[in-house]
Amino acid sequence: MTKSLPYLAAGVAAGVMLAGLSEGALQAAAAIGGDQLALFGEVFNKVRDNYAEKPDDDKLIKGAIDGMLASLDPHSTYFDPKALEDFQTSMKGEEFGGLGLEVMMEDGLVKVVSPIDDTPAARAGLLSGDLVTRIDDTPVKGLTLKEAVDKMRGPAKSSVRLMVERGANKDLKEYTIVREIIHVQSVRSHVEDGDIGYIRITQFNQEAYDGVRKAFDHFRSDLGSSKLKGYILDLRNNPGGLLNQAVEITNSFVDSGPIVSTRGRNADQEQHYSARPGVNLSQGKPLVVLINGGSASASEIVSGALQDLKRGTLIGTRSFGKGSVQTILPLGENGALKLTTARYYTPSGRSIQAKGIDPDIVVLENIPDDLKGKVSSLGEASLFGHLRNGTEEEKGSDAYVPPEKDKDTQLQAAINLLHGAKPETLKSPAPAVSSQ
Amino acid sequence: MNRKVGYLGLGVVLGAAATVAAPQALSYMSPAAYAAAADTYRQLNLFGDVFDKIRSDYVEKPDEAKLIEAAINGMLASLDPHSSYMDAKAFKDMQVQTKGEFGGLGIEVTQEDGLVKVVTPIDDTPAAKAGILSGDIITAIDDQSTQGLTLDQAVEKMRGAINSPVKLKIVRGPKKEVKDFTVVRDLIRVQSVRSHVEDGDIGYIRITQFTEQTAEGLKAAMDKLHNDIPADKFKGYILDLRNNPGGLLDQSIDVVNSFIDKGEIVSTRGRTPDETQRFDARPGGDLSGGKPLVVLINGGSASASEIVSGALQDHKRATLIGTRSFGKGSVQTIMPLGQEGALRLTTARYYTPSGRSIQAKGIEPDYRVLEDVPDDLKGKDDMKGEASLKGHLANGDEDTSGSQAYVPPDEKDDKQLAAAIGLLHGVKPSETTSAKADKSDAAKVETPSAAAARTDAAKPN
Repeated sequence: MTKSLPYLAAGVAAGVMLAGLSEGALQAAAAIGGDQLALFGEVFNKVRDNYAEKPDDDKLIKGAIDGMLASLDPHSTYFDPKALEDFQTSMKGEEFGGLGLEVMMEDGLVKVVSPIDDTPAARAGLLSGDLVTRIDDTPVKGLTLKEAVDKMRGPAKSSVRLMVERGANKDLKEYTIVREIIHVQSVRSHVEDGDIGYIRITQFNQEAYDGVRKAFDHFRSDLGSSKLKGYILDLRNNPGGLLNQAVEITNSFVDSGPIVSTRGRNADQEQHYSARPGVNLSQGKPLVVLINGGSASASEIVSGALQDLKRGTLIGTRSFGKGSVQTILPLGENGALKLTTARYYTPSGRSIQAKGIDPDIVVLENIPDDLKGKVSSLGEASLFGHLRNGTEEEKGSDAYVPPEKDKDTQLQAAINLLHGAKPETLKSPAPAVSSQ
Repeated sequence: MNRKVGYLGLGVVLGAAATVAAPQALSYMSPAAYAAAADTYRQLNLFGDVFDKIRSDYVEKPDEAKLIEAAINGMLASLDPHSSYMDAKAFKDMQVQTKGEFGGLGIEVTQEDGLVKVVTPIDDTPAAKAGILSGDIITAIDDQSTQGLTLDQAVEKMRGAINSPVKLKIVRGPKKEVKDFTVVRDLIRVQSVRSHVEDGDIGYIRITQFTEQTAEGLKAAMDKLHNDIPADKFKGYILDLRNNPGGLLDQSIDVVNSFIDKGEIVSTRGRTPDETQRFDARPGGDLSGGKPLVVLINGGSASASEIVSGALQDHKRATLIGTRSFGKGSVQTIMPLGQEGALRLTTARYYTPSGRSIQAKGIEPDYRVLEDVPDDLKGKDDMKGEASLKGHLANGDEDTSGSQAYVPPDEKDDKQLAAAIGLLHGVKPSETTSAKADKSDAAKVETPSAAAARTDAAKPN
């Protein structure tokens, strides 16, 4: 599909779709999948003619599309025009009044993928894996994800009450949170310990690469290249985003070599992305990449490539394991389809689908007692209907990042490594696995 | 475009040769109808477009039949919890259910949150004898997790050759106790009517579900009771509809008619004239000789059971004892599709003779009598009812609280039955608790769930 660019976890409509194509599609479908489509049409007509109440055609079709896509995999979804707009907004990094939560739908409840740094949700203490069961006085059951998100959004300074279910014990907690303008700022950076350039990417939106470039500029002006010991690229709890941003960001650390390739069913979905010379901004300084169970998709492309190219040392816990690419296929005035169109492969040719990336050095965070067992990401392999990847799939990995820097064992390990110590704080992989 | 609009507006299926349609079709349509049809076309077109994109671009070659089935199920699930699609196999199973016999365990199951839940074990079956209970969640069948299985697949796994064993892993109650059962399959007959003489002078009749044999079975049962009990001694009938999830409408009408000679039994109202019907008793249909009648109901009495108990209550023909019924006030029609499956679609609501809809409300018994629930089953035996099902048809002020659905296996512990016998012997039942206590009892019910417990779509196996 040369007409629409692939995206990971997300993307923006870029392709050109002829408005009249759908008619052709129907006729083609009638020729090939005609029996099946005819069955659908028959049911649709019977419902419209005979249902006890006059059905809402929009809702029927939406239900059909949602049902069909859900049967494929957990990442293929339909965006109605409003959802598409919201999605594009989030990819552009625009602003809205809200709480600062990345959420997804699970079993009819809204699940927190991760709270976004420096937002009301993060400050209030919401955690990855929390299930939102009630928003103000409305139960989440029965709402679509979009409806739930709309309820959580609202004017800045207005407040919203969330009832949250946490962990295996389903502890109920109520939060009252005041909305703020959420700027989807995807890159934050600072100088760590006087000589390390720390870059955190929260998601791969359209501003991500620019943000990384600016971070390099800052390091250069703040430190100068002689003082700089290396970089920490923090991809923990980063759920992914745009493929091209992941490729560009990887390229800002390497000069040459393959970065990622994608393969789908059709030849035109096979793409190879390689580093372009001359855009490596890192001056060859050492690099540590932090990952955990919440690092997914585009985060895994970056960390997988840097690991395969031996450009970075990966520290943390096993990543999420989302090895598929979604493409946004525009549907004219009807929104768009986010469809899984390819799997991707790291430079060494491995697919991390349902497996994740194992860090070079496993370091676990110390999880406070009251959060134990509640801050793991279950990972791709535990998602219902996920794409299979052989028999050795891996589930579940810690996804907790302590709010205080000095308690952040993974960060400290990264700093120590860049300072030349391979210290005793590092744990062997064995206990890490058993703790999952 | 215009031509297609007319074509679809006239109700022809999607995907057929659109160019054949006569352009004149448009001239029949009012502007409003035109707009509506155009909108419908846009929607169908959207569906076709998505289907086509999946077929051409999905990462793996999709199974088209599976896609369409998922689409149909998604569409029907958006309507209500009782509308569903049956593929060829499910359709056949449904026919087995209403007619025949098969090798299985004898449980009615439904799917909830992706897990298989026991609606009720059927009397005198291996499942009932093994001690499987309503509300049990079956998490594994022969060591295979039920997560990810469709209800059909799970049922298929539980059925099998007579005398072959099957292992079930069960999670019970809010504490999620895990229990393993090994149950040997037996011939399961959908024997829907059982009867015996109670206390020497009462005809006890239990209907487990309304199958094609129910009216006949009832007639046979009543004949036998008349033979067994001398007419001068015959004090009356107990009609036990507890945990009866429903079944065929015409059978429920016949059952009512066996106790009354005239008057309306039920009326249905849908959107189309053929769904709007009134069913009256045929004179001469009453087999009961006017003897007193007590009907037992509980939270597991649904649908056809509610038609029967609602009609007999409205006619003041019977006294209802037990707990509030389930509250399923809708009628589904089975529509065969193509050469294969069938559509089960909610086509009407029904109304009792007094004109009330029990949808999402249930029927309140005349005497509310609770069973004593053993400690280890407390809180595990309630039915949450129609009003707690996601996407149920709305009906004004609803009752979302649970209603007890426990029937003691030992008749001597059965307080509802004892109250019925007492009443027929002239003793007015004492109601167990006040309405207020009812609420607090209801509050003990597990956390408001979730998903669609489709009592109606329950499958025996």
